[in-house]
Amino acid sequence: MQTSELEQNRHAILPEPKHDELARQQFVRSFKEHLVAHVHPGNRLAYEHRVKPAFVRENGQEPDNRFEIRDVMTLDPHYRMFSALLRTSQEMMWSASQQPVQRELQALAEKAKSTQGAGGSLRLDPGLEIPRYHRAVDIHCQPGGYHTEVTADDVAPGAVYDRAVFIYAMGQMGPDNADMGASAVAWIKENHPGFNPARILDMGCAVGHSTVPYAQGWPDAEVHAVDVAAPMLRYAHARAESLGEKIHFSQQNAEQTDFVDASFDLVVSHILLHETSEKAIRRVIAECHRLLRPGGLMVHAETPPYKNLEAFDAFMLDWDTRNNNEPFWGRSHDIDYVELSSKAGFDPETVFEVMAPSAYQIAQARRSKVFQGGDFGGGGLWFLYGAEKQGEPGR
Amino acid sequence: MTEQPRLKRKAKGERPYFFSDPSIDKLLAMLMGLAGEVSVLRDRLDTVERLAEQNKLFTRAEIENYQPDEEALKERAERRAVFLGEVTRIIEAELEGMQDEDDAPYSQALELVNRTES
Repeated sequence: MQTSELEQNRHAILPEPKHDELARQQFVRSFKEHLVAHVHPGNRLAYEHRVKPAFVRENGQEPDNRFEIRDVMTLDPHYRMFSALLRTSQEMMWSASQQPVQRELQALAEKAKSTQGAGGSLRLDPGLEIPRYHRAVDIHCQPGGYHTEVTADDVAPGAVYDRAVFIYAMGQMGPDNADMGASAVAWIKENHPGFNPARILDMGCAVGHSTVPYAQGWPDAEVHAVDVAAPMLRYAHARAESLGEKIHFSQQNAEQTDFVDASFDLVVSHILLHETSEKAIRRVIAECHRLLRPGGLMVHAETPPYKNLEAFDAFMLDWDTRNNNEPFWGRSHDIDYVELSSKAGFDPETVFEVMAPSAYQIAQARRSKVFQGGDFGGGGLWFLYGAEKQGEPGR
Repeated sequence: MTEQPRLKRKAKGERPYFFSDPSIDKLLAMLMGLAGEVSVLRDRLDTVERLAEQNKLFTRAEIENYQPDEEALKERAERRAVFLGEVTRIIEAELEGMQDEDDAPYSQALELVNRTES
């Protein structure tokens, strides 16, 4: 196993790129690193140097929220150049990640079907409706989204996504893309000593890259993971099996699953909430409450809410809302988590919002230490929101 | 033979353009695409050099110390001139138009061919 952030760890189901395909993917990563280090900082410079002074001259005061900043920054030549380049890097990332998958399309599907050995399971529901908020646009610009299938037993969206996540995060989520899950596990263990969940559910698991750390963190636990997209789940299942992690995947909407009441000790998600909707997010949290046993814990990893950020940083972090097919991103970053949780049945006193340190230490020194559009994980911290279900455990 | 199913290449959703003229965004995307292909080529050359060294054909030090002879210098200069001419073609074409005075407004040609009276 590699332990470097330079390249992703191989596993049996990850497509093998040919020489030039790999070079193309690595270029996109270098391109993104260049944007983060040399082009992105120019936005603040342009804002302080010319955009804000011009605003003050015109209005007699500084912009006081991200919307006013947006109105003037979108006219700035540097911001426009940055945005055009960042959007292009995103499109190049998907295109370069697709190439080996397109080439191995059917072979990957066959391989996924026969990958087993860890004892996990896969349960698909062809009748499940893909929610409208997931069909409206292809989220984060992945062509076809998570759910589009072009061949029998298709795993392509998962294979493309697994590779793209590594390039997108520029290795900052570690060689297994595991940092969100691993950081949440580390935070839970540190802040809830003695908490030993017997059943764990990961909602909106995609390829299970964040699920695996839970199976590793609590090897005796029964770990379940749900997603709405069948091709993601087929890939996730094969990936987990090839890594020797026993995980039970099923095709379900996190708003309403078929698990019985009070059947989990720990329910988690990773960057799921901002991909839902105003209505769905409430149903997801209510479902967490229903599924948890008394004394159980809910933890959702997200990027930090805007209320904790300076207006300019919030404006930059909001880039994805319009420019990266993340329509609910902006609104979800303004959500009142205490209100959201209490309406779903949680005691507001148990609601927590914390910044958890990244478990992936190797990348720390090279991080840019800021939250900014296109630099996912760059902050070196993950925002965790959650709550506890009241009552004594073990009843 | 049945055709291989194709992955969808475009993400559903209206694409934002950031410059006042979307052509600038498109040009920039093409430029980065080209930069990517140059990088791919350079990586491939790097592989060739490393494999050559590994297989004892020649070393990278030999490449660094290579002294082109007169003929090689001439051929390279010619190749670079052609390359630059191709890349900057649009600028030179405009200059040639000025020089030959063949850049009269296009409307004149339209008018000419559409004229009904002689």
